[in-house]
Amino acid sequence: MRPGERLMRVVTVGNPSCVRIAAFQDALERAGQPTSVVISYLDLIRERDALDRTMREGDCLRIESPGQEFEVERQLIALGANVDDEPGASRIGRDGALRLLFDRGRIWFPRQWFLGFRELLRDVDRRRAAWPGHVAMNSPSEIEAMFDKPRCHGLLVKRGVSCPPSLGRVRSYDELRQRMQETRIFRVFVKLAHGSSASGVVALAIGRQGVVAFTTAEVVREAGEVRLYNSRSIRRIEDGREVALLVDTLAREGVQVERWIPKASVDGSVFDLRVVVIGGRARQVVVRKGPGPMTNLHLRNRRDDPSRLRALMLESEWDAAMSEAERASSAFPSSLHVGVDLLIAPGYRHWAVLEVNAFGDLLHGVSDRGLSTHDAEIAELLGGWAA
Amino acid sequence: MIAAHATEFAGLPVRDFSRKRRIVDPTGTIYRLSTDYDAEDPFTDLLSRFLEDPNAGRVPGLVIGAWQGDESDASSEPIVEALVAARETLGSLRALFLGDIISEENEISWIQQSDVTPLFEAYPNLEIFRVRGGSNLAIGTIRHENLRSLIVETGGLDAEVVRGIRSSDLPRLEHLELWLGSDGYGGNVTVADLEPILQGDQFPALVYLGIRNCEKADEFARALAKAPILERLEVLDMSMGNLSDEGALALAESPAVAGLDLLDIHFHYVSEEAVGKLETLGIKVNADDRQEPDDYGGETSRYIAVSE
Repeated sequence: MRPGERLMRVVTVGNPSCVRIAAFQDALERAGQPTSVVISYLDLIRERDALDRTMREGDCLRIESPGQEFEVERQLIALGANVDDEPGASRIGRDGALRLLFDRGRIWFPRQWFLGFRELLRDVDRRRAAWPGHVAMNSPSEIEAMFDKPRCHGLLVKRGVSCPPSLGRVRSYDELRQRMQETRIFRVFVKLAHGSSASGVVALAIGRQGVVAFTTAEVVREAGEVRLYNSRSIRRIEDGREVALLVDTLAREGVQVERWIPKASVDGSVFDLRVVVIGGRARQVVVRKGPGPMTNLHLRNRRDDPSRLRALMLESEWDAAMSEAERASSAFPSSLHVGVDLLIAPGYRHWAVLEVNAFGDLLHGVSDRGLSTHDAEIAELLGGWAA
Repeated sequence: MIAAHATEFAGLPVRDFSRKRRIVDPTGTIYRLSTDYDAEDPFTDLLSRFLEDPNAGRVPGLVIGAWQGDESDASSEPIVEALVAARETLGSLRALFLGDIISEENEISWIQQSDVTPLFEAYPNLEIFRVRGGSNLAIGTIRHENLRSLIVETGGLDAEVVRGIRSSDLPRLEHLELWLGSDGYGGNVTVADLEPILQGDQFPALVYLGIRNCEKADEFARALAKAPILERLEVLDMSMGNLSDEGALALAESPAVAGLDLLDIHFHYVSEEAVGKLETLGIKVNADDRQEPDDYGGETSRYIAVSE
């Protein structure tokens, strides 16, 4: 610890075995700060006052991703069982949720999962009012917004951020085709409204020749039910009925549909950027390349540092693209960090914000002037960042 | 997939016309005309604007990019007509690329081309013609004194196009490049269709022959290995197809292949060993980008590079 620097106690809500927790602990140690107290999602779900009993004056709350832990997934789906909602999405009772069996890649009740996660976040938000003075690295209400793609898109547009146009709400493949005809937008991205990263995403184009879709999502019909899976490889589908079934299945859960804006390429691969904006400034950047329309850190795609790309762009253009990412983050002023997915168009002169990720700061091995995302976040906090 | 627009064409850098909408550098740049999905003007307006520019008569080349925004079924016919009508205006045109459209913008087999034959008569000084998109593409018999380079990029080429080309009189043709594609996307060119060209008498100035993006690469390789035309060629390009050891070994055993300057088979399914045999010929071999066959659902497939 540097002389004169204060000690900061971080309370993390997360899944203890997750690499995210360990990575942040390492960063705290590098900064000479005490280890974070970790409250597991399971504990918080079971004992809602866990944070009430833990938070002390001057603490910093860090909410981490609930992902990668099946028990937590079940619990959140169970939590969403009794939340009122418009009909349409798949629902399961509380007991049924708790009895779900692990099925790799399976997308379970995405809308209901969101309702449960939202319930938990709102509960934390309500209880915060009674805690002693503290700083929250990410605000529960903004996390909720970032997990709701249609709403998130609206917030970005309101902020003047350059985004692909939305086609509005669609509830079925037929409705999607109709909307595409009406708007004359024939190439779209269909994304689960509450999915993370590349979960349940379809890039789709319609023409006189038919339809073509690119997706990592898969619908499997088994034992009389329709099951939705994420895989790690992109498939190309030209069978109209298969595309219809896939889109219908996704649309039922709530989807965000946007125009498919062409992406630029570097060295023969299409790419987009993940820009981690910390304290309102664009910091760590990674180029995510893919052989097809999807680029994502979880898929087996290549990721590179941006030096190759920067050599192809004017400095002023790069700066403007980074400013766009910063503008996106300004729609979430109470979040110390956001992971912005930024598209660069062919010609490298135009860009668009594709996604804003609440837990988009897990960028292993990527640094900005020697600092990892976590290092930079801690530095901001020690420097007095407050929402 | 085709990931990038042309950055260079006919030896000059390519720039977008839509930015400034003026021909700023008529002889040092080749302009690309294209309409984005959110373009205010339809393509025909953009083209008119280009033609009305005082410098239009000095441009040596032109690249036509996406002319349809998001819509995949707009034919190139009106563009071809407009270009033919502009033959006096574009008096210096010697290089034309019709269809600089990338995979992110449109499927190559969804690009609606048209009969481009009238362009050759309209532009007797044309030296380079490059076209992308095989759907509804027609090239009839051409008689052209100056054409040096003919490039046809498709995901599936119709044999009728080859019939037109092979019956054409192109005394200066040095570079003939055909992407044959796959039968799933309308590709139906056979070795027999190419026979008049392979015999070697058709294009006396030919030094580069490209049979690319070919789903029957082994079969064509076997035929090319014995084709008389090979003796006159400097470059044989069989890249982007599904060439495997069978075809590679046929090429390796051909004395005519050994007389080439360059054998280009990049993007291929040839083993290291067979590539080694090609390399012992003492010629330049480009065997970059080896592919692994795809195993899906119990079937092994060797996909060509652009089949969509």
